[in-house]
Amino acid sequence: MPLLDPLRGLWRRLLTWDLLPTPGPEGARRDGAVERPWRYYWDHLPKRTAGADFSSRDYQEARQRAEEVARTTLGEELWHRLALDGHLDVKSRRYPGVTYRLRVGRRIEVVCANGVRPPWPYPFLCINPTYPLPELEFFAQLFLYARDREDLLVRVAAPQPWDQRLGRTF
Amino acid sequence: MGRIIVANRRGHQLIEWDADTDTEEARESILEAERILREARDKGCAVSRKVGTKHVLDDAPFDPKVEEYQIIAPIAGG
Repeated sequence: MPLLDPLRGLWRRLLTWDLLPTPGPEGARRDGAVERPWRYYWDHLPKRTAGADFSSRDYQEARQRAEEVARTTLGEELWHRLALDGHLDVKSRRYPGVTYRLRVGRRIEVVCANGVRPPWPYPFLCINPTYPLPELEFFAQLFLYARDREDLLVRVAAPQPWDQRLGRTF
Repeated sequence: MGRIIVANRRGHQLIEWDADTDTEEARESILEAERILREARDKGCAVSRKVGTKHVLDDAPFDPKVEEYQIIAPIAGG
């Protein structure tokens, strides 16, 4: 239909210019050997999933690789401490007497020393990656943020009254 | 050999280069690694660098002599 041609043309140009956001799984398939998830949006995925194109084997392999890289990221000493304690504590440099307790796949627990007033009204901080990651992998990344970029962590953290699993990890 | 660990839903995938070999292919692999690191940073990712036996977040420009980088996902509350 001739009347629709200009609209079709505009649509093609929008896609060509990449002005519309591309959904993650579809975009990642175009990336070839190495997926670059920061290029796409992932908010439409159900919680704790990596996309409809992911098989149970994909999940299993991703979790195995995540363990390797989390261990590399943290180093052996912290890795063993995590295995022993089930969590890692990072002392706040910004709030004296406050410690961030990081647990795999869960919200950060804010632990205050006796007599210290909590900086937030609730004891849990919800922080997710902007694209899906295996829990262990994101745990190691969150540790780096807590230790090296507390300012950013504080800026994005969403205080919550209860503990819960994270939604963007699996 | 240097490498970038690209943390993604696959767990991670690797981009590697050889800073000690002076060939066209080696130079291109270094340029590609630099491009990927820059693109990720421009999109809000953080970057860590291996120091000794662990990683630390790092703002410095890409250095092909670094043994290992990792691309860290941007974070959001809620």
